[in-house]
Amino acid sequence: MLQAALLLLGCALSRYLWEVDTTVGTVIVGATTSGVLFYLFIVTAGAVSESCPYQTPGSQALRYLRPKARRILRSTSSVVASAFREAFEKSKAVKTVAMNVQWYYPWWSGGEIKPFLKDMLLEIPRALVIDAYHLGRMMIRPLAALPVGLYRLGSAILAPLVSLGHRAHSKWNGASPVAGQGSDEQMTVLDLRCISWMIQTSSDKAVHLSALKHLATVMPLADFDPVLVADCFDVFVSCIMGGVKNHGVVIIQGLEELAMVSALCFFNTVSHLLVTNPTSSVLVDVRQRYLKVFPPQDGLHYHRAYHTMNAAGCLLIQRWERQSFRWGDYKPSPHEHVIVAHNLVKLARSEYQRTQQVKVPRLILRFALHSLSLNPPPPTSVIADCLSIIAIDLGCDTPNAGRMTPDEKYVYI
Amino acid sequence: MVAWKIKTMAETGDPDELRSKCKAVTALLPYAVWRERDGEPAILGTFLGAAWASGMMYFTWHRIDRFAGTLLSEASPRAIVLVSPHIPWYLLTDRKDLVQHWAAATSLVPCTEEVARSVIDTLLQVASRRKLLPYITADLWAWLTKRPSLPPVCAGRYYGTYFHVVKAVRKLEDVEVLKSYLLIAWSEWDAIWNEGFNQMCASLRWDFGGTGMDRHWVDLIQRLDHILGELDRGLEYLQQRNHNLREYDFQLMEYQYRRLREMLLEVDTERVIRRSPSIVTPLLLKSEGSRATFMCALPLLCL
Repeated sequence: MLQAALLLLGCALSRYLWEVDTTVGTVIVGATTSGVLFYLFIVTAGAVSESCPYQTPGSQALRYLRPKARRILRSTSSVVASAFREAFEKSKAVKTVAMNVQWYYPWWSGGEIKPFLKDMLLEIPRALVIDAYHLGRMMIRPLAALPVGLYRLGSAILAPLVSLGHRAHSKWNGASPVAGQGSDEQMTVLDLRCISWMIQTSSDKAVHLSALKHLATVMPLADFDPVLVADCFDVFVSCIMGGVKNHGVVIIQGLEELAMVSALCFFNTVSHLLVTNPTSSVLVDVRQRYLKVFPPQDGLHYHRAYHTMNAAGCLLIQRWERQSFRWGDYKPSPHEHVIVAHNLVKLARSEYQRTQQVKVPRLILRFALHSLSLNPPPPTSVIADCLSIIAIDLGCDTPNAGRMTPDEKYVYI
Repeated sequence: MVAWKIKTMAETGDPDELRSKCKAVTALLPYAVWRERDGEPAILGTFLGAAWASGMMYFTWHRIDRFAGTLLSEASPRAIVLVSPHIPWYLLTDRKDLVQHWAAATSLVPCTEEVARSVIDTLLQVASRRKLLPYITADLWAWLTKRPSLPPVCAGRYYGTYFHVVKAVRKLEDVEVLKSYLLIAWSEWDAIWNEGFNQMCASLRWDFGGTGMDRHWVDLIQRLDHILGELDRGLEYLQQRNHNLREYDFQLMEYQYRRLREMLLEVDTERVIRRSPSIVTPLLLKSEGSRATFMCALPLLCL
């Protein structure tokens, strides 16, 4: 609204000053045009890259709609192209010409040219009509599918607007049936933005630690900025002494706690982003950086914090099948165990659906096996999550992780 | 819900489905063991049902080897005994402590058909590992005399006919245990390992050739007759219950069990020759080969 109002003001001011004085008007028109161009540039830049610091609602909407629009365009264009290709291959007109050429060969000689042209004139219009009929029939299906695609695109555009309207309405009236949930989500979003801002702007490790500690307590990462993943990774990297050296990772003295919390937050955010937006450009970027800092190497002696980071790395690089991670050596705190288990359930569900309901990745099943074998047993919530992982792999209808308490889930499973 | 799903999979009898989900079912095993210790054996029962129904020699995911120590030291004796056949002992060749845990558990569990079957399966699997063989005591070998029926696919019986296992049982110098071992190891479902087969032939000649062996001889020949009768039904018939059975194994089994039977008859004939003709058993006379041998040998006996 603010941006639209600013544009309208610029337009009105330009028009008004143009009538008063053309020179002044030219300057204002130039400034307004520059502003509009700059705005379009940052919308495009924001839509192309999530890491762009200038994010506008327009760029977010474009990023949201881009895959949907691309899918519809791609499917429509492929259907139309195949319809044309098929029509050409089965074309009656082409066949008629070919047959006549063959029949009257050599058709250019004196005696043949006349009957050849006569036959062509008689047969070609009929063949063209038949071709047009077939092409029309072949085009009806894609054209019929187009409104459905457009409807989906429209609903994708309208859904956020409707929810925005609901929010505005509830704000206006002061209450709504889902007021508690909505305000909680909003608070979480604001919290996450604050955390991201604090990590990016501050260089004080104590500030990082308190911000990340808070992040570790935010379990449902409702709608978070993907850049937070990169932030957590940067904090962890700043805690280690020059990457992997002599088959190990050395944490700078005094930064052990920060390293552990940042690794846990990295695990939390990465697994959430892998579920919600696996094609995010931030993931691609962080994956490259992760491999640069921690190249695949055997025989590393792990610091406890690096264990969590390594687990997150396995998820990030999707090393499901290799002997990439030894859960047997993983000794998390109960809090960390709960967070890891909770995220792995979500990831198991998403991977199970991605593989057309065939299997859950082995790495995650190994986690369930390891956690259930622990003595003393892990917290109830972890047991419930491990059973959920098993249930997902077996194809059972599992409860949504966010809707039930651990005890309810445990009883249900 | 999870237990119900596994139970349904086991009951519908689709081994492929069970095989494809063996990792998930294995992940449930530690939990089932803890629950059994707390007095709820249903989930463990479901796991065992699935493991037997799968028709796999090793149903459990090999990853369980890392947790075998925890399982065998914390579980109840009954759970230890029932779960042990499904532990990959071939990966635990340096874990004599686990054998000792298991041996202790077997002495605490009342003997039932299910328990005896599990103990024998585990016993033969453990015995097939040379490094673990010395930790099997005579008390454990005595379990063989319970003679439970083993399932068509059984890792213990398959690996239990190695040369050193046959030799170890012979070394006990207990004819009852040796006979029970042979009755268990001989089966229409598994061929015998080559060197183990030679050792068995030697055993029949030297261990069952003496006097007072009539009762054992009858038991052994009846077992072989039963096996050969089953083999005569054909490969397709046996494959209905054991999909892993192949043509080569089938032919090898036919050869081995016929040879063992011949060997047993020869042993008996020699035994008879050493005695007077009056004690020839009616069972011996039923057999064509033995009767012919006996008739040839009769003039010599009369002399």
